[in-house]
Amino acid sequence: MKMEDMSLSGLDNTKLEALAQDIYSDLVEDACLGLCFEVHRAVKQGYFFLDDTDQESMKDFEIVDQPGVDIFGQVYNQWKNKECVCPNCNRSIAASRFAPHLEKCLGMGRNSSRIANRRIASSNNMNNKSESDQEDNDDVNDNDWSYGSEKKAKKRKSDKNPNSPRRSKSVKHKNGELSNSVNADPYKYNYNTGINYETLGPDELRSLLTTQCGVISEHTKKMCTRSQRCPQHTDEQRRAVRVFLLGPSASSLPDADTMVESDCYDASDGQVLMSRLQWDGSSDISPSDSASSKASTNNSDSKKPKKKKSLGLNSTGGGGGGGGGGSGSGGGSSSQSSLVGLSNRKKKPKLPVPPAPSIYDNLN
Amino acid sequence: MSKDSKMRATINQKLTEMGERERLKELLRSKLTECGWRDQLKAHCKDVIKEKGLEHVTVEDLVVEITPKGRVLVPDSVKKELLQRIRAFLAQHAT
Repeated sequence: MKMEDMSLSGLDNTKLEALAQDIYSDLVEDACLGLCFEVHRAVKQGYFFLDDTDQESMKDFEIVDQPGVDIFGQVYNQWKNKECVCPNCNRSIAASRFAPHLEKCLGMGRNSSRIANRRIASSNNMNNKSESDQEDNDDVNDNDWSYGSEKKAKKRKSDKNPNSPRRSKSVKHKNGELSNSVNADPYKYNYNTGINYETLGPDELRSLLTTQCGVISEHTKKMCTRSQRCPQHTDEQRRAVRVFLLGPSASSLPDADTMVESDCYDASDGQVLMSRLQWDGSSDISPSDSASSKASTNNSDSKKPKKKKSLGLNSTGGGGGGGGGGSGSGGGSSSQSSLVGLSNRKKKPKLPVPPAPSIYDNLN
Repeated sequence: MSKDSKMRATINQKLTEMGERERLKELLRSKLTECGWRDQLKAHCKDVIKEKGLEHVTVEDLVVEITPKGRVLVPDSVKKELLQRIRAFLAQHAT
């Protein structure tokens, strides 16, 4: 076969192979030559060594391989053990703790003023406690108002960031300041400014209670200035405070009627109730699901899992200070008094109640 | 013999005319760059140049030093692939 091929084609495998090899080595030599020319030109033009770093710099950046030192030659925890002397209190402080210490020491920075305020508030409390104790004696036996629930509410709050401005309930105003001035302030500060109920007359109290939560804080003895639906206090507390402050007759509180009704209703029936209370002017409050988005920003997000009965009456809702959860009592112009009682009802603490009702009030 | 050489000449001519030679060259160049052959050889060049002195290096010096090393340094895979292509071409076009 091979011989025939040879005679026929004049080529055979070995020759072909040899030819292939030759062609291959020609190609490789071409490549080498190309490289040589390139290098030679670079040498002659002077740019052959340009992309190299010079020897000296190479030594500067050599990899370091000693113990206690990283590959750049830097010591890792060089400043850890160093101590600095505080210029203010002349104490020797660890370097990594120096900045926070200085913040507190000099009284500058966000947290130090907060802590100082709290300390002032609590020291005020200690001073005031002896006075208010006598007045509160009869209230201690009041079953409705339990300190425990307030403590619970407080504990929930303490889960939050301790440094956030909302945490502190300390008073920025001195005791005895009138409610009027305080009303404006909640919108300015993040602090929960409190009111001392002792200094307020019954009329003032009543008007206050129709717009604000009013629950008296255990340690500061001040009324909560948040809205009727503030999540810190339950409606029971609000009702109890109203009973306490305005008298058991609580003529201003329409507890009886609305209480009964609301107990019967589920959140879903809120709409029905709402229509009933149309005169109130609040129309678009659905305690349970839908309108939550419409609700005031505070309440729109989360609904607390506990479903307490009744809640429809959010219509009166938000009213006063920007719609809180729960049953707001009508902050609006008309007919607040009758609706005040609603606030005392047990409701979902975080019902979305839009502040809209008050707007609607005006429309009606 | 002359037949062989005639054959060879014909084939080489065909290779060039059809552009296959250029294609093979390009293929080889890119493969060699990829596998680092070029950089290796360049480093060798640097040594040669430092040895001979920057000013007096000639092309001949370089060629003499570089080419044998270059031939040796070609990786096997590249070599095999190239040979394969050449053989294919030959099989196709060698009468």
